[in-house]
This record gives sequence, C-alpha cells and structure tokens, in this order.
Amino acid sequence: MTDAGHHASEPSPIERRVAALESLLVERGLITSDVVDAVVETYERDVGPLNGARVVARAWTDPAYRARLLADGTRAIGELGFGGAEGEHLVALENTPTVHNLVVCTLCSCYPWPVLGLPPVWYKSFAYRARAVREPRAVMAEFGTVVPDDVDVRVWDSSAEVRYMVLPLRPPGTDDLGEDALVPLVTRDHMIGVVR
Amino acid sequence: MGGMHGFGPVEPEADEPVFHAPWEARTLGLMIATEARGLRAGSIRPAIEQIDPATYLASSYYERWARAVEALVVAGGSLTHAEVDERAASGGAEPVRSEATDPDLVAALPAFLDAPQERSGDPVPARFAVGDRVTVDRMAPTAHHRCPRYVRGVTGEVVRVPGGWPPPGEEGDPEATYTVRFAMRDLWGDDAEPGSLFIDLWERYLT
Repeated sequence: MTDAGHHASEPSPIERRVAALESLLVERGLITSDVVDAVVETYERDVGPLNGARVVARAWTDPAYRARLLADGTRAIGELGFGGAEGEHLVALENTPTVHNLVVCTLCSCYPWPVLGLPPVWYKSFAYRARAVREPRAVMAEFGTVVPDDVDVRVWDSSAEVRYMVLPLRPPGTDDLGEDALVPLVTRDHMIGVVR
Repeated sequence: MGGMHGFGPVEPEADEPVFHAPWEARTLGLMIATEARGLRAGSIRPAIEQIDPATYLASSYYERWARAVEALVVAGGSLTHAEVDERAASGGAEPVRSEATDPDLVAALPAFLDAPQERSGDPVPARFAVGDRVTVDRMAPTAHHRCPRYVRGVTGEVVRVPGGWPPPGEEGDPEATYTVRFAMRDLWGDDAEPGSLFIDLWERYLT
C-alpha cells in the first residue's frame, strides 16, 4: 500500500490551472467558495432534462398549455417554475407526423439550460456542430433514428439569442397515461431532436 | 464550424454525468461567480474565439471555458497570467477554500440561474418582415460575430422576428434579429439532404 494517500495519477495541467485561479480569487477575497459551490449544486441537482420532460408531458396532456408553450416558450416554462440563464427567450418547436426538428449550435454550445440542463459532450463536439447542419439525417441515424423520407427535417442553428427545444410527438399507445406517467418517456435526446 | 468535414461520427456517452471531473464543475462555478462579482472585463464567447485555432481544436470544452474565464479576469485587473502560472506550478488540484461566505449572493443566484422570467428581446424597428427574401452578406469579420460562414451569400426567407438584442461584441442599442429559413439545397448544393435550416441573424448581416 505504498500508494496510499496519493492520487492514481498526477493532476493535469488544466486541473492545476483552474484550482490556481479559484485559489487566488478566494485568497484575495474576491469570491467565496460557497458561491461556486451553489452554482455547481444548481446544475448537478436542480436543473436538468427532467424539467423539460415535465414541460413536454404537460403539453401532451393539456391542449391550452401546449398552445401557450408554442406561443411563448419562456412564459410557459415559467408557469412550471422554470427559467433563467440560457432560457431567456425560449422557442418550442413542434414535431408533427410530417415535420421533425433538430437543434444544434454551430458556434459553440448554445442550449436551453433551464429545461435541459447543461449540454452533453456530444452536443458540444466538433462532429455534431459540423455535421448536424449539413447532414442531419446521417447524424440522427447514428442515434438509431430513421426519419421517414416524407417527413420534413428542419434544423435549427441556435447560435444567436433564441434557445430552442423540441416538443416531440406523443408516443402511440399512451392515451391512457396521465402527465406524471408520461414524464419518464421524454428524454433529453427527444428534446434536442436526435431521437424522434 | 458548420459544414466542416473530417470530425468523424457523433459519439454519445451512456449515462453521461453532468461533469466529468471536479475542475469542470469549478470552471462553471467560476464563470458565474466572476460575472456576479463583476470581476470580468468582457464576455465569454469572444474570449473563447481569441484562443488560437490549433489550441482551440486540441482543448476540451471546459478547458476553453477555463482559458476564457482566466483571460477575462486578467483583463479585469484582479490578477495576472504570471500569477496563475506560478500558483499552477506550485499548487495542487484542490482549490483553497474561503472561510468567508457570501450568503446574500448565494440567495440571489436562483433569480439569475433558474427562476421564471419574462421573455427577452426588445421591440425594435425591423427593416424586414416575415415572408421577405433576404441574402446574407459576404464578409470576413475579425471581431466577434454570429454569422457563420456557411450561410454567407445565401438567400433565405424570414419566418419570425424574435426581437432585438445588442449586436454581438457590442454593448450598444438592440438591433433587430430575424429567424431565416434556408433550403438545404441552397446551402450545400444539389446533393444536399432535403429539408431546411433555420438560424437567427442580426439585421446588419442581411440585405
């Protein structure tokens, strides 16, 4: 047990650099650790794709809410208690039997945090950013999604101020399910559009 | 980056965690905390674009953020790159923790991060209307912008006018933006996949 108390590997340069930055700011009294902790906890605990799933399940079961969501996404997610950074102007994109929507940000990673949380690594990857705007069907196929030829594919490059989420189709055979039972059927990938 | 070749397949990760390492989480926290405390001169996105291309492509997402946050705090005058170099060489992976706390700021965070709000975008005069055909200007800007190369010179149709925001990289008055629909064929040629591409563009990019 000669390695007891040591890390399995040395800290990486970036790990040291971020720690250095935070340490200097803390030592100079410019920031406090509890604020950084609170931000991290918000995104690890409170803000994630479950929020968006609740929005979708409500829209599937309440036609008036669906209409409000499509008219003003920001206000409609606010009705369920959601909003904030990266959701200041939210637009919900309605999938229909003849339309499929897919969201990307070629600039970097613009993403509707209040309803989907922080984006997954693949959404921020060069491959997704480069290809989703040019060959969306090929990209969706890599997620196992085959969109029928007669469906109109619409790609949304959210690189300005509007943030987009997809309102997916309600799965067939779920007419008997209530809102709470529908929530687990909605995934992050449905709301980005890589899954139909 | 839109349209570039050679990056290979998109590779989703099963059961992906929110953060892959504690330093990624601290980087996000520092980004918000330094903004809340007014320690940064400038915004994140232009700072990320200042990273040289070879380094950009070789860095992970949170590495780019960390570089940008550091550059903006240095620009804000609170510390120097040399001081960070020195501490990074001598320190470990664990940041120093403050004994002091800031309960007022912690209490104010939810209103900023995850509370309902009114939709952003100012009502501003708009030169174009829904249904207008617009062409994206040819340009090669060196400063921060939000007009990707792959739409330049292409003609599309305005489908929505979301409102006005200050132009990218400027603190100035809001300017109208437009959601513009392009046919995939017009962007990528005759062998393009069928369908449409929608993107929001500031009025200054359009004719």
